[in-house]
Amino acid sequence: MKDSTKEDINSSVTMTTKRGLITDSFKVVKKARNGVKREKRPPTPPPQKEPESEMAHEEELQRLRQFDLDWRFGPCTGISRQQRWERAKRHGLSPPEEVRDLLLQTHTGPDYNLSLWSEYPL
Amino acid sequence: ILDKTRKLLAECGAQRAAKMATLLMFSDISAQKEASSLLCRPTSDDQGPVYERMSLAYSPCSERFTVGERSFSRQYAHIYAARLMQMRPLLSDRAQQKWGPDVLIRKLCDLQTGEQCCIVGTLFKRMELQPSILKEISEEHNLLPQPARAKCISETDELILEDELQRIKLEGQIDRDKCVTGSVIAIYGAEKNDGKFTVEDFCMADLPLQTPRPALSSDRFVLLVSGLGLGSSHADSMLGLQLLVDMVTGQLGDQGEQSGAATISRVLVAGNLLSQSTQDKDASTKPKYLTKKTQAGSVEAIRLLDELLCQLVASVPVDVMPGHHDPTNYTLPQQPLHRCMFPLSSVYPTLQLASNPHQASIDGVRFLGTSGQNICDIQRYSSMDSHLEILEDTLRLRHLAPTAPDTLGCYPFYQKDPFILEECPDVYFSGNAPTFESKLIKGPDGQEVLLVTIPVFSSTQTACLVNLRTLACEPVSFSAFSADDDEERCGGLWRCGDCGRWG
Repeated sequence: MKDSTKEDINSSVTMTTKRGLITDSFKVVKKARNGVKREKRPPTPPPQKEPESEMAHEEELQRLRQFDLDWRFGPCTGISRQQRWERAKRHGLSPPEEVRDLLLQTHTGPDYNLSLWSEYPL
Repeated sequence: ILDKTRKLLAECGAQRAAKMATLLMFSDISAQKEASSLLCRPTSDDQGPVYERMSLAYSPCSERFTVGERSFSRQYAHIYAARLMQMRPLLSDRAQQKWGPDVLIRKLCDLQTGEQCCIVGTLFKRMELQPSILKEISEEHNLLPQPARAKCISETDELILEDELQRIKLEGQIDRDKCVTGSVIAIYGAEKNDGKFTVEDFCMADLPLQTPRPALSSDRFVLLVSGLGLGSSHADSMLGLQLLVDMVTGQLGDQGEQSGAATISRVLVAGNLLSQSTQDKDASTKPKYLTKKTQAGSVEAIRLLDELLCQLVASVPVDVMPGHHDPTNYTLPQQPLHRCMFPLSSVYPTLQLASNPHQASIDGVRFLGTSGQNICDIQRYSSMDSHLEILEDTLRLRHLAPTAPDTLGCYPFYQKDPFILEECPDVYFSGNAPTFESKLIKGPDGQEVLLVTIPVFSSTQTACLVNLRTLACEPVSFSAFSADDDEERCGGLWRCGDCGRWG
């Protein structure tokens, strides 16, 4: 059943191509992109944060990544760090408290809360 | 029918001597009443005795099996990790109890060649015949789609133990054909030079602790039935089903039987309420314009089920668990059937739509069980055939469904594995078994569990009655017309006058 309908479609397509291309009736219009492209370039990067807080920020992220890669607490993909910490606590694996404190800070974003591999479709 | 009754009487005479006088069976209660009042003039309405059905304290404990928001964006590694995390301390304790408190419990990465030690991990059985979608669609193999096998074990199977980091092949004193993937066990032995671990002994987590059940004063029964198979093309079991409903609601028999039926305080239907023929796959493969006007087979079947349940719930509390062929999700734990499918019976508060697996405490007696998918799956991937044996094995492993998620569909849990038994039940059942079997087992810490395999009602016409006071279980059979019989047979439920056995 399916094959016969496919053949019908194919034959109808070939028939229209013999008569003419669709681009004969609808011309291809190329948009003028040059000016728009340049305008959409990102503006200059934001001014650098102070070096100390930048370093502390990096250290905290590094600490969290170490927590992610610690094999004792199970796999880290697909769940948030908070959920993984709680699972480790529930099973008595004594996860480090400092990780929890880092996660409970309010100004943090997804780079703190989600695991190392969260951007990959695992 | 006269010949059959005579035969039964002859049997009874021989069996009466062997019958235990102390166990009070359901049939005995009915037999104790006075002479049958069936063949007599009907009494006027206000003179008939009214039997009260006991209503028992019931508390469902199935919160762990209800899945809230369903997110399938997780891998299944979490459930295995949670399983191992949870079972490791239990197995370490058991290992120390079995092989001495100073037994070395090592992780696989710390193993030293030739050292006698104990390792704890998850079993993995590599089976050649295990259906693999990758092999099927692979062009190299040129495989045609294989029909589903009854058993997927073969001589070339290998057992491997995995812990958090590594895996090692096992050989030695472990029966490979009886083990299934996903069981967490502790193994005692040593690693030999060839990189395989030689097993000398192994142990499972065994039964968890059990809080003793309360002593009951009188006999109360719970009826367990499964595999009703409604909506099938041949309605063989409808008469048996109607007889069952009539018996439970007290519309069958004389005063003796009715007072006996009043002691049935709950009915538990364990799965496969609909028959497999309602699950026709045509609706999904045929194009829409052909199936637009046709109704799914399950619609009519659910309507039948609703009418049947309506008769039951008007008189007795009923727990309904879904099964493999029922309209709910496929993965375990199956969520309760939705109450919108039961417009007639969901009005009654006695209808309890339960999940599969189901856990409840009926008058202090803890029931835990499934509709049989976990047992059938283990049967397929091991050499064991008896459902009762497999049921006992799952209890000893302390896990309801060890093959989930490998070969049995399961929701990707990550916090904890809800199939691990945390508390020992008093009655542990599984539905849709080929025959009725029951056994009372004892645990190492004084636990006592009744194991029941509930037979498929549509083929065996048998249900089970569990006595909550004594934890004794007996089958109840309903005979009906059968197309296979040559001789003329009268359908009906009949009781032997001598021993009071139902047949």
